[in-house]
Amino acid sequence: MALPLPSGLVPTEVAFLCEMEMVTIVPRQRLEPIQLLSGETPALRPPHRAEVPLWLALLLKKQRRANIVAPPWLLVSSLQDLVHQETNVDPEAFSPPPPPPMRSDGRGTARPYGTHPDPDSKPGDLILAPPFLPSCTQEAPSGYLPYHWLEMSETLLAHAADDIPNAPDVRALLRDLQEVRAAKMRGSTRHLDGGGGVLNLRGVGAMELAESRGFVLGVVDGVRKIGASMEASRREEEEERAAAGGADDSDEEMEF
Amino acid sequence: MDIDDILREVDPASYAIPEGTRDLQALTRAWVAERSSPELLNWPVDGLFERINERIKQQIEKIEDMTGDMDPKTNFALIVIQTELERYKFIVRSYLRARIAKIDKHTLHYLSTPTLRARLSETELAYATRHQALLHNHYLSSFLSSFPQTLQNLNDTAGNISMIDTPDLDTAVFLRLLKDTLVEGRGTDTDGGMNGRYGDIVILRWSDAKPLVDSARAEVI
Repeated sequence: MALPLPSGLVPTEVAFLCEMEMVTIVPRQRLEPIQLLSGETPALRPPHRAEVPLWLALLLKKQRRANIVAPPWLLVSSLQDLVHQETNVDPEAFSPPPPPPMRSDGRGTARPYGTHPDPDSKPGDLILAPPFLPSCTQEAPSGYLPYHWLEMSETLLAHAADDIPNAPDVRALLRDLQEVRAAKMRGSTRHLDGGGGVLNLRGVGAMELAESRGFVLGVVDGVRKIGASMEASRREEEEERAAAGGADDSDEEMEF
Repeated sequence: MDIDDILREVDPASYAIPEGTRDLQALTRAWVAERSSPELLNWPVDGLFERINERIKQQIEKIEDMTGDMDPKTNFALIVIQTELERYKFIVRSYLRARIAKIDKHTLHYLSTPTLRARLSETELAYATRHQALLHNHYLSSFLSSFPQTLQNLNDTAGNISMIDTPDLDTAVFLRLLKDTLVEGRGTDTDGGMNGRYGDIVILRWSDAKPLVDSARAEVI
């Protein structure tokens, strides 16, 4: 009954999450809206584009009922920019994640997708995060890799290669990206030397995390366990110093 | 659905996320968090699972209705509905099983204090109590009974060593920030702080990360 998997998402679960990402399709057949648990699917009327989750897009694609539109960041020019960014502009950090998608409210102001206009929103308010942000649709910005970039591009190349312009070049560029970013991921543990408690990996992808989760978290936990006694004595010292400061005050008070 | 609902749907000034999406996002987040965090998290209290179970039940009934008439046109819709239902059920199942795995591992710990017990749902609490009782009785009948009376407990804390295993709350986790916020973490040599921006992905000890997750400023990934 109990789940035998280790803590942390495994790659197949990450791929499952990725299938919830919305993608743009061009339907070839009419299809009436279907009432699903997560809401209603849009009515498909060729040749109008529609946005559906990836799993549905793949189903439609397999039955030749639709074509998938490749997201703008998966085009050759965008990937070339990204490889340049990753190798030359910033060889240390990952390229930045896409900016929060904005949506017009029809009155001339733009606000982040799916959030309440109130800036100090209530604690109960839900903030959407990948895979529920439209980061792989037609409107997604080019030149930014979304959180599920690796799974998304692999899936699209495997099942809808004929819908991606210049697929062989895309495949080669993706491999370059993957390699340069994997090296960064492995190198990220070097920043642990400082021993600060927080390590920032802004821009990393879901599959990259799943691949290196065991290694990175193992290193972090290992370093913590090795330094546990040192950390405990440092904390004790700090506490003593704080207590000594407090004690001095009370001593002075005692003199009065 | 009345005219107000239709108007609200086409009004671009409406920022409401549809309920289906909201619940799926909440369920997915709860699932991923439960899969990746070292300790058991709170059972959602806002009736999320009641709503989800009700909807799954309705959807199954709908499928049963639709399989009755074998119209080839509804056939494809049926495949789509069933696929989605299976995906949904997978998340629910995986979430519950991940929780059971944690409860099994540290049963006595989660039963030890009222605050920890409050994290379990009613069924989980019943399961944990009964499972632990069965286990203890089994141990008693097979070997514990030949021990001296004082050594028969499974939850001794004598000698400053507790018999109750607890999860390691300092295990590192990956977090994604949902708001711009200050992130503070304890480290081996120094304690660090950082002004986190929306979308940052950080590695942090779970004990430092928990307040951020509880206040919805970050999610576990």
